[in-house]
Amino acid sequence: MHGLRAYLLRRLILLLFVVVSVLTILFVLFKLLPGNPLSVFIDSNYSDEMVQRQKRLWGLDDPLWLQYVRYMWNMLTFDFGTSFFQMTPVSGIVIEKLLHTGAMIVPAVVLSVVLGALLGSWLGWRRGSRQEGAVVVGLLALRSVPSFFVGILVLMVFSYQLGWFPPGGMVSIGGHQESFWETILTLDFLGHLILPCLVLMTREITSPALLLRSTMLEVKGSDFLDILRAKGLSERRIRVHATRNALLPLVTDIAVMMGFLFQGQVLLEIIFAWPGVGRELVSALNDLDYPVAQACFFVMALIILVFNFIADVLYGFIDPRVAYD
Amino acid sequence: MAEAEILTASGARKKSGAIAAIARVLGVIGRYPTGAIGLTLILLFAVIAVIGPAVAPFGPFEATQNELGRVARLLPPSGSNLLGTTTQGIDVFSQLLWGTRVALIVGVISAIGSVILGTLIGLVSGYFGGWVDEVLMRVTDVAFGIPFLPFALVVISIAGPSLPLVILLVTLFLWRTTSRVIRAQVLTLKTRPFIWAARAAGASEFGILFIHIAPNVLPLSFLYMAIGVQGGVMLEAALSFLGFGDPNVISWGGMLNHAFRAGAMRTAWWWVVPPGLALSLFVISVFMVTRAYEELLNPRLREM
Repeated sequence: MHGLRAYLLRRLILLLFVVVSVLTILFVLFKLLPGNPLSVFIDSNYSDEMVQRQKRLWGLDDPLWLQYVRYMWNMLTFDFGTSFFQMTPVSGIVIEKLLHTGAMIVPAVVLSVVLGALLGSWLGWRRGSRQEGAVVVGLLALRSVPSFFVGILVLMVFSYQLGWFPPGGMVSIGGHQESFWETILTLDFLGHLILPCLVLMTREITSPALLLRSTMLEVKGSDFLDILRAKGLSERRIRVHATRNALLPLVTDIAVMMGFLFQGQVLLEIIFAWPGVGRELVSALNDLDYPVAQACFFVMALIILVFNFIADVLYGFIDPRVAYD
Repeated sequence: MAEAEILTASGARKKSGAIAAIARVLGVIGRYPTGAIGLTLILLFAVIAVIGPAVAPFGPFEATQNELGRVARLLPPSGSNLLGTTTQGIDVFSQLLWGTRVALIVGVISAIGSVILGTLIGLVSGYFGGWVDEVLMRVTDVAFGIPFLPFALVVISIAGPSLPLVILLVTLFLWRTTSRVIRAQVLTLKTRPFIWAARAAGASEFGILFIHIAPNVLPLSFLYMAIGVQGGVMLEAALSFLGFGDPNVISWGGMLNHAFRAGAMRTAWWWVVPPGLALSLFVISVFMVTRAYEELLNPRLREM
């Protein structure tokens, strides 16, 4: 148990170190911005005195170290300031966009894991057969196809040509409900979700399928399966038992997938006009809305790091051997 | 990408041994059916990248005009415009040829850069261990903590879009995996008896590292270079599609960006499908070659 605790502590310290480093890089980047955020915000008619007053108000004439400390504190307490354009607190905007992104990713990940696990279990069981070989190569090839082009094609065919699905967006115009949870429980939302969700799945299903296939190969040789066979269980039932034992490594895979998707779906959000955090980052950068851009970037980085941390921790619990590395 | 290896090898390297070795590896890859198809396609892309702009009927931003001297907008594919024209009357086929060169330039340069960087860091980190390893691996951890696409978007919006910047960003993204893999490989290599023998024979630390260990990790470096070309082409396409590519050159991603913004998904399939198809085909052909190469390096994959 001691090894595990040391492992967790080490991982936690590493997480904090990386978060602080990423924030520092972000601080430097935004300090390098051409001109300064004021030039976007302040009218050219302002007198020098007014500019100076505004600078003092925002703490921009403080020494750099003080600005850095204040910036760190604000970021780590999720106080991202006010949007230049929407004039509302950035944290509220970011939370809303994160929920939207989550509404696309979570169903895709759940479905990918369930269907991918079924497929992987079948593949592992039928190892060496001709179909198995073909499916594996197909999955590997699928993983390398750029999913944003798949998204464009799908949208062209099913939305513009056939008219089966709405052409992007999260809800129809005027279909927005009072709260996020009411919105995602409407059929209208479901209709908008199907295409982007399917496109995400074409890519995401490959990882659980290939992973489960290889763990199934290991489990397949276990003695307990022979005992089940001796008991006279059908091959199908035996496969269920084997699959159950091969599922554990999938848990860490889910965490990695979730973290990756929160930054990887920027392109799909643009193509499907999905009002998520990635699309918000792109439009904030185009509008020079720096507080929003900064917050979106930080939140995306943080989510990846936290999910990777969760994956490491789960891995430590599932396979205690790694803790002693 | 493999052709690029030959090109750079024949152009820059003095040793004919290196060319022979690469040719041998390519020959073996070509014996796998997927490898042969992949190599043929990549060769085709490489040829297009080299001669494409010379044979392209129009310039990358040149508006086609009809008989009346007006800009020929959104023409469907025909004999004079093989893949039709864009909303600005630009010949899609010509853009596709020009775009191939940009895609391959970004892919090849960033792959080579990232593999050199990643291999050096992996070698030094794995071989020397101790605080050097600690520092380099924490830097790698930080690199892994930075989400590439958002990071690249922020940097490009600060520094302004340009092709060298895109190459630099892609390189900075790709080296991290290589360095971890190479480091792991060095950790096992440095305990092998032939390293003890070299040390006993009085070889210097750097001599051991670069003469005895480095050649043994090179096959793995080449694998990551191939994967890097694929990654580089994809990332450039993604950035350009989002409108953060170099506006002075045209790439497949840039074409998709223009088409997407002009609403061509609704009106002009001939503008949308070719660049996306070229991108997918290129990525899949690199995948086929790397798959065959991986099987060559690790025969266990065939059974697994």
